[in-house]
Amino acid sequence: MLIHGYYYQEGVASQSVATLCIHADDGANDNTVSIRTDADGAQVYVGQLSQINIGDRLGNTQRKLMLQNGYVFSTHDNDSIDALFKSSNANHFLSSVLHRIESHIGWVITALLVVLLTVFAFFKWGVPWASTQVAHALPEQANHFIADKTLEFLDEYFFEETQLSEEKTQAIKTHFFSQLVPLDDVEHSRKYQLHFRAWNQNGTSIPNAFALPSGDIILTDKFVELAQHQEEIDAVLLHEMGHVVHRHSLQMLIESTFVATVVVLATGDSSGLVDMGLGLGSLLVSSHYVREHELEADDYAFNQMLRAGINPIAFSNIMRRITDYTGNPEPADDEVLADNAEQETNVLIDYLSTHPSTQERIEKANKYIACYEKNLTVCL
Amino acid sequence: MKALYFNGSGFEYFKIWIVNILLTIVTIGIYYPWAKVRNKRYLYANTYLEDRHFEYHATGKQLLLGHLIAMALLIAYIVTEHLFPAGAGIVIIIFFFIFPWVIWRSLMFNMHMTSFSHVRFSFAGSVGNAYVNYMLLPALFFIALYGPMVASAIAIHFFGNEGAMSSSTGGAIMLGVVFGLCLAFYFFALMKKRNACYAIGNYRYGQGVFSIDVETRGFAKILAKTIGLSFLVMLGTIFLMGIVIATVGYDEIWAMSGTMNDPELMQEAMFNEYAIAFIGVIYFILIVASFIIAAYTKARQRLYIFSNTTLDNDITFASTLKARSLAWVMISNLFLIILTLGLAFPWAKVRMIRLTLENTQVDSEQGFEHYISQQQQSQSAIGEQIGDTFDVDFGVGI
Ligand SMILES: [Zn+2]
Repeated sequence: MLIHGYYYQEGVASQSVATLCIHADDGANDNTVSIRTDADGAQVYVGQLSQINIGDRLGNTQRKLMLQNGYVFSTHDNDSIDALFKSSNANHFLSSVLHRIESHIGWVITALLVVLLTVFAFFKWGVPWASTQVAHALPEQANHFIADKTLEFLDEYFFEETQLSEEKTQAIKTHFFSQLVPLDDVEHSRKYQLHFRAWNQNGTSIPNAFALPSGDIILTDKFVELAQHQEEIDAVLLHEMGHVVHRHSLQMLIESTFVATVVVLATGDSSGLVDMGLGLGSLLVSSHYVREHELEADDYAFNQMLRAGINPIAFSNIMRRITDYTGNPEPADDEVLADNAEQETNVLIDYLSTHPSTQERIEKANKYIACYEKNLTVCL
Repeated sequence: MKALYFNGSGFEYFKIWIVNILLTIVTIGIYYPWAKVRNKRYLYANTYLEDRHFEYHATGKQLLLGHLIAMALLIAYIVTEHLFPAGAGIVIIIFFFIFPWVIWRSLMFNMHMTSFSHVRFSFAGSVGNAYVNYMLLPALFFIALYGPMVASAIAIHFFGNEGAMSSSTGGAIMLGVVFGLCLAFYFFALMKKRNACYAIGNYRYGQGVFSIDVETRGFAKILAKTIGLSFLVMLGTIFLMGIVIATVGYDEIWAMSGTMNDPELMQEAMFNEYAIAFIGVIYFILIVASFIIAAYTKARQRLYIFSNTTLDNDITFASTLKARSLAWVMISNLFLIILTLGLAFPWAKVRMIRLTLENTQVDSEQGFEHYISQQQQSQSAIGEQIGDTFDVDFGVGI
């Protein structure tokens, strides 16, 4: 058997084209190997097959055989080497085990599927789970630190002083602290605070409510104006309390930290090309987490409304009024349910959006409304 | 003149790459150094000049310690950056001080672990020069660029209130800013020149010595042309953005701008498909624009450096890489990677390697036969792995 390749000494650039020859000795369990250079046919090496150290097999790259005399024989003829050493050389198995996985299409497809599933599961469940754990483990001071900075920022760039009357804001506050805060099971550890602000942009005032992780809840003037009943304000306040209870702001920070870490690690040995593409990817992943938070806060609000005897329809009503006011293009309530065709196109948009589709929220609300009408306080 | 060539294939690299990722996941990241070595070995061993090839000799074991340290540093950095932005500033300053050391170690380790035709490369640069090139000069550059602006802002803050500024003060400020910009321009070109000299001029191939003969003026010319091109590209970008804004509508964009800092606000702004399409298009335009500029600079610098580099005054180099083809491969690779959610990465990598290798020419009278590896101290890989994790880009790869 003949194998063509190169004969050289490690560390020396000059190499000779050479041929390795195996002499099958009958009866002996070790074969003799000899190497001759192609140029002059001189025999440069003779030795036993079992004495040769084989390098790893790696794709189509040249295989190295480390010889007894410190020289190296390297060849492209990987298959012959594997066939030759299969039976007689102990270190053959280790040198080609990775290659056998890499060259077996079944293994490669398995690897591909496992990698895809792991990545998906990691972002879908792993990151939110881990950040929930971390968010709840961090001391309350972390929440206050973030909240103070955020409110400072918003006051400076977005908000103006409220135009609401003192009686109005005082009434909302009194109701909030006497009726809603006691519903929170662990209110003692949290100090809720209500803030009223006017928010104008482009000449229109914006109806909205936010929760900061410390328990500060901000209501905009327009929101208070749009709410027609106390129950509607309660519904939104409970939703915001849901954000506070679940520490969503902190979780969001931790989630984006996770995503950033993974993106950097995953592209560690790549050029800047990939990073730029992944920037958009991480934006999409983050917006997915925000959606999950909204739904979680909705759940909290609905459950508390059932306990407090408030009809969950109040939440649907105020949400509808807000979306009608801001001109949200999405279908605003169950009466104007989009026809199927439009819904299909909305699926992708919905996935990209940070806003849970009104559709999804309305279904949830309807479920709770049904429970409320049956006088249930727990809705499964 | 003979060009380098790549003998591997994208599909084969994909198979190696995906199995590596699997093993890295299964071992919760411990396998990463071995995976990295295997990927690199495949790419190096398939890089040929005639019938001689490169080889990467590091082992996973050598890289493991550095990898663990680098991971710990990275996580510490990202956590600090997200939770205590002020602390991140301090971390950046610390990095600023260890960064030159990391580059120096990386260059030594990587060159020592690379062979061509069985002969090892090495790196003879000093750590002192690394501090000059990667800390002192960048610092001077930033001081020259921003110093006059900051100084005049402070001056206006303290003296501007006491009445209208005299025209001579205004003139002095203008002069200061212009002088600062010129100085920054000079420092940048000097930095590029010194970096090229530091990396290449200190490369050794066996007993062979690389020498490089480049001047600051050469890099200044390339920089001037790059700035000119950037202006053109910027005009084009503004024009395209104008079209997008006219199509999407001004109100939509206004509603979005300024809400990026708060998720609760962002969700209000980002609810519709226009906003998402708009972000996508802006992103696309900016990426294409920055790739065109990057490709131009890289192709030009490569041409200049290669044609002025020799090994032992015998072996010469040349680059035939065109900015246009480089930009095309960069942009198309990016889309390949995005559209396949990263799975096409191995093909993209092989495409880029093919392009750069096939545009690298080597010429020699005496050939490589007489080169012999020199005795070297074994190198620690700690700096190398830190550099790798933070994606430090240095040197002038082939
Ligand atoms: Zn919410």
